[in-house]
Amino acid sequence: MVIAHPPKQEAMERIVKVVPDAGLHARPASQFVQTANRFDSEITVGRADGDDAVGANSMLAVTGLNIEHGESVRITAEGDDAEAALDELEALLTTPVEDEEEDSE
Amino acid sequence: MKRSGIGSTPLSGVGTARWYRPSDLTLPEQPDPSAVDSDAEQARFEDAQATARQQIEQARQQAAERVGEDEAAVFEAHLQFLDDPQLVDDIESAIGEGTPAEHAVDDRFGEAIAQFEGMDGRMAERADDLRDIRDRLLRSLLAVETVDLSALPAGTILLAERLTPSDTAELDPDSVAGIATVTGGRTSHAAIIARSLAIPAVVGVGEELTEIEEGADVLVDGEAGTVVVDPDEDERAAAGGVDAPVVEETVSTADGVEIEVAANIGGEAELDPAVARGADGIGLFRSEFLFLDRESPPDEAEQYDAITTALAAFPDDRVVVRTLDIGGDKAVPYLDLPEETNPFLGQRGIRLSLGAHSDLFETQLRALLRAAASEHGDDLAVMFPMATQIEEVAAAIERVESVAADLDGEGVDYAMPELGVMIETPAAAFLADSLAERLDFLSIGTNDLTQYVMAVDRENDAVADYHDPLHPAVLRAIDRTVSAADGNDAWVGMCGEMAGDPDLTALLVGLGLDELSMSAVTVPAVKQQVQETATSAARDLADDALACETRAEVLDVLDES
Repeated sequence: MVIAHPPKQEAMERIVKVVPDAGLHARPASQFVQTANRFDSEITVGRADGDDAVGANSMLAVTGLNIEHGESVRITAEGDDAEAALDELEALLTTPVEDEEEDSE
Repeated sequence: MKRSGIGSTPLSGVGTARWYRPSDLTLPEQPDPSAVDSDAEQARFEDAQATARQQIEQARQQAAERVGEDEAAVFEAHLQFLDDPQLVDDIESAIGEGTPAEHAVDDRFGEAIAQFEGMDGRMAERADDLRDIRDRLLRSLLAVETVDLSALPAGTILLAERLTPSDTAELDPDSVAGIATVTGGRTSHAAIIARSLAIPAVVGVGEELTEIEEGADVLVDGEAGTVVVDPDEDERAAAGGVDAPVVEETVSTADGVEIEVAANIGGEAELDPAVARGADGIGLFRSEFLFLDRESPPDEAEQYDAITTALAAFPDDRVVVRTLDIGGDKAVPYLDLPEETNPFLGQRGIRLSLGAHSDLFETQLRALLRAAASEHGDDLAVMFPMATQIEEVAAAIERVESVAADLDGEGVDYAMPELGVMIETPAAAFLADSLAERLDFLSIGTNDLTQYVMAVDRENDAVADYHDPLHPAVLRAIDRTVSAADGNDAWVGMCGEMAGDPDLTALLVGLGLDELSMSAVTVPAVKQQVQETATSAARDLADDALACETRAEVLDVLDES
């Protein structure tokens, strides 16, 4: 499959704290990659304070980051739909996966 | 031709042999790159990808139907790994350089697997996912026939080197007529699941089993522990099975004492077989199955659903849920349980629920108390595993009350279920009096009770003779427990292999048990035995057995009865 990349534009970025308990693993990772793939923009993800950014279209690379719940990540997107992509990806990482139980103690 | 193994589900079945060989994936020798047609290899790779994609999508759908959307999500991740640009690009360029498709796949996945294996626990699980996908691709490339365990044709006798618990859980009891494996023992988890699904099974047959050819006519006799190829009429007729007519209603002894014969349940798939075999409710709902083989604990809503589903399957019968019994040999990766030298003597059951995992306990209690207020919730009972001290039981009851107060404060509907405790340690048997005073019921878990009373590892064949509840020490611990319950107006049940042995039903009735709970498969046979038992004779038998000083004497007493 050939993906036509839009002309280069200024990359947008956003720093997001990972909320789901599973971190950027399992289902959140899977949804993250799935969502990233829906956009034409070129998207990367990595630790906010690191230089480990990888392509968000690769499940292998994204899970390989081993990002845990509570860590902050930097998402960058470059392309026509960059802003929409960042909005969705941010929403995904800031939504708890399951209804979290309250701890009464 | 007859081969012998260990009968594990005491039922018989005849069908067509089908081999399950999950790991037979030897690559051919790699040819010189100049001899490889890269275009043809590229096409083979794309075909294999397409096949794998189709299989994974099918697995996803089945998992969603059988287990739930959450668990099906793992297959979504599989699809993404399958199409991963890093993996695919590397594989395709290796193919372009003259590597055959299977070697390119094996090399690149091998690299990724090694990379994940080098990381911590959760990442190692990703390695399992990658292995799974690699094997799908290789099976397709090497034209190794795959067997989809959840979609076997009717009348299949499944033959395998070994089956994992998850392999077994995938099986459809309606289409699998029997199982025979080269390795494995009667108490392996796979064997227990097969029993719960009422699939005839013989395990540990040995290498001879591999001589049986695909497509052969095979009889699996789980009572005799034999596997017969091309069985003749006589052999078919003689095939054993503790099967008896199914009796839906609760049965009584010949002189009218009602005994509940319930089923042990370790998963939702086991509910239907239990209902079909006439179980009077559930005597042991192993809630830990909800926590195994997944990435994070089930939330309150999921647990509530599982409990109410079980209650709905038995609208008029009691359902006894055992709170989370992890630790021991049941690993739950995401809980980070500490490594222990003696896990069976370490943090397990109620010890974890009151200690390191009190949060899980609270969530579970919330789900239970809410389920008790649901449509069929009247008959819900809850019991705590591995208790050894009165303080633990008092603390557990306190937790139940505090959860009730929370729910009350939130305006959420709840009700108090019956509360009980498992008697599976000598400490609990000695304290049975004080326990029965505080609780509605006691349930004797004979597998663990025997293990702890006899100080014997139940997985260790060298001391298998010690692991028999017919040792006088175990029988007396049971007797002590029953008397304590009787004296305190509590009911007393038994869950464990002993309860499901129809040869012991009279003895157990004589010992005074009110309820027997077992793998669903033996429910009809035990009900039949109950109906044929007279309590006065049974009491004499129990007295004789309790008077014995050795296991040999107990066996003699039972033989004479």
